[in-house]
Amino acid sequence: MDMIHMNIVESAMIAIAREMGINVQKTAYSTIFSEAEDFTCALANRNGELIAVADFCPAQIGGVPLLVRSMVKEIPLSDMNEGDVIVHNDPYRGGLHTPEHTVFKPIFVEKEIVAFSVCIGHFVEVGGMVPGGFPGEATEVFHEGLRVPPVKIMKEGEDVPEVWKMMLANVRTPRGNYGDMRALISAVDLGEERLKSLIEKYGAEAFEKTVQDLMDYSEKRMRAELETFKDGKYTFIDTIEDDGIEDKEYEIHVAVYVQGGEVVVDYTGSSKQAKGPINATLGVAWSAAFNAILHMTDETIPLNSGCLRPIRVIAPAGTVMNVDYPGSSVGGNTESHPLIVCAIFGAMVDCVPDRVMASEGTTHGCFVFGGHDPLNDEPYGGFDFSYVGYGGRLFADGNDATDSINGNCANTPMEVFETRFPWIVEEYALRPNSGGPGKFRGGLSNVKQMLCTGEMLVSQMTNKHKLSAWGLEDGQEGALGATLYKKSGTEKWETTVEGYGKVSPSKYSNIPMTPGDRVRVLAPGGGGYGSPLERSRASVEEDVREGYVTEDRAKEFYGL
Amino acid sequence: MKFSNNGYYIEQYIKCSNCGMLLYSDGLKSEIAPNEVFCSKWCIDWSSAKADGVEEPKIPFGHEKLHEIG
Repeated sequence: MDMIHMNIVESAMIAIAREMGINVQKTAYSTIFSEAEDFTCALANRNGELIAVADFCPAQIGGVPLLVRSMVKEIPLSDMNEGDVIVHNDPYRGGLHTPEHTVFKPIFVEKEIVAFSVCIGHFVEVGGMVPGGFPGEATEVFHEGLRVPPVKIMKEGEDVPEVWKMMLANVRTPRGNYGDMRALISAVDLGEERLKSLIEKYGAEAFEKTVQDLMDYSEKRMRAELETFKDGKYTFIDTIEDDGIEDKEYEIHVAVYVQGGEVVVDYTGSSKQAKGPINATLGVAWSAAFNAILHMTDETIPLNSGCLRPIRVIAPAGTVMNVDYPGSSVGGNTESHPLIVCAIFGAMVDCVPDRVMASEGTTHGCFVFGGHDPLNDEPYGGFDFSYVGYGGRLFADGNDATDSINGNCANTPMEVFETRFPWIVEEYALRPNSGGPGKFRGGLSNVKQMLCTGEMLVSQMTNKHKLSAWGLEDGQEGALGATLYKKSGTEKWETTVEGYGKVSPSKYSNIPMTPGDRVRVLAPGGGGYGSPLERSRASVEEDVREGYVTEDRAKEFYGL
Repeated sequence: MKFSNNGYYIEQYIKCSNCGMLLYSDGLKSEIAPNEVFCSKWCIDWSSAKADGVEEPKIPFGHEKLHEIG
């Protein structure tokens, strides 16, 4: 097929994936789907290759090839029928962590599978040791909720009640989970319907050929792009500050081998897997490598498995980069993924300095809570994001208050948040001075202070409360994050280490809160790029005028 | 990946000794590392080169379709 038709087919498939996502947003019960958009919709061919994806959550995109692979290995194509829907969240079978549920629907044309409609969504409540899905003190997967191997949740268009009952019996918010699962299924239904229409228009044979051509084209574009990178071995080491179980650091080793249009991302040398839940699954290790490379290459290259062919990932088993069963991994997808991406940026600064940034805050905050809602007499669970500062770049300041690089998740409006959950938000603002000083300043993070109005348990999986976002080329560190609690009737703000005897201030489980208690969540800022003394005076003055940098800080770091 | 005889549960998770890929098949063996198992010829070659002290092995990917189902 010619380039014009190939482009039309690609655009149509991306539009389908986007429409699937809008369907999830409009039909989901939880705010993490309807507001934060923590899901991804995609199409894969019958070989399991990604052929189109919508621009929702990047963390999930790189997981698709491994997830489809496991599904088809365990449920052969010959056992799939029209109307089947398969669900899967197993971290050891290509999954990213237990909250991330993937549903697949085979798409049949003339009784043959031609493609899969795929939707991955982050469920807030998955059972396990805490409400909200992020047990910062989990030591095995069984603490992290129900693990679902690839199983059919619908057969030939009909529910499989045994699977639904088994899954919904193991979560705290069955009504909400039921609604969210229906939202994902409606999305893959829509994907099936739309792709069938597209295939009918061009014919199955022409469609398949076009998709192959598209992936080959994407591969060629990526190889050509990578050929512009200088060959060599580029290395970096970043550090995970703790795992929630021990006050101990873990290293992420990255070696990027650029070799004539091909890239090997090698994590050899990384620490052995941790007891606590900061381990990456293989899916996360792949996804983070793809995420980093895609950020450094031409964004107009069609995103499908073709452009991933020149990238290979080495993630030694039993390390923090590839957890072995039954190790815990819920934070690997949220906290370690952005650390890995930034470590790859740190390695590549000598290769493509104009395409990387200093470290961002590398966390989504993952402040989760749950309890019983007396108004509606039912359990609830919630997830609140924090927004970090991004790192400064060779040519620009870091983005302010943005979801970490693998999330792309949107802000939940305060009105929605306060209506749905027993919190009153007392302050929500940018944090002055949180961006690391630099010629190009690190982005500012946000601060949120909330008053609790109900009984609940709170847990968190976050990062950079001890180790700051690093700068590049003499840029300075971003501000540390912190989560501080103030019990009702007291005036003292305390970390979970100080007030609740936890090992970690950033990863913990089940803090009891009652009406009148307060929490203050300060997200970490981004690192700066270049010496702050080289920052233009006009930019420093503007920062002071806008309240991004205080006058004393401007004097201390920028010589104003 | 070794399943129980009835296929209901996993008895052993087996991963490539080089890249960590989960193996559903028996995997590939190497004469140089007989106790290890690999997902592809590329991984055998990379691992061997590293074991021989090659700092930057250059092994073209070929068309092993690592990102596909096979």
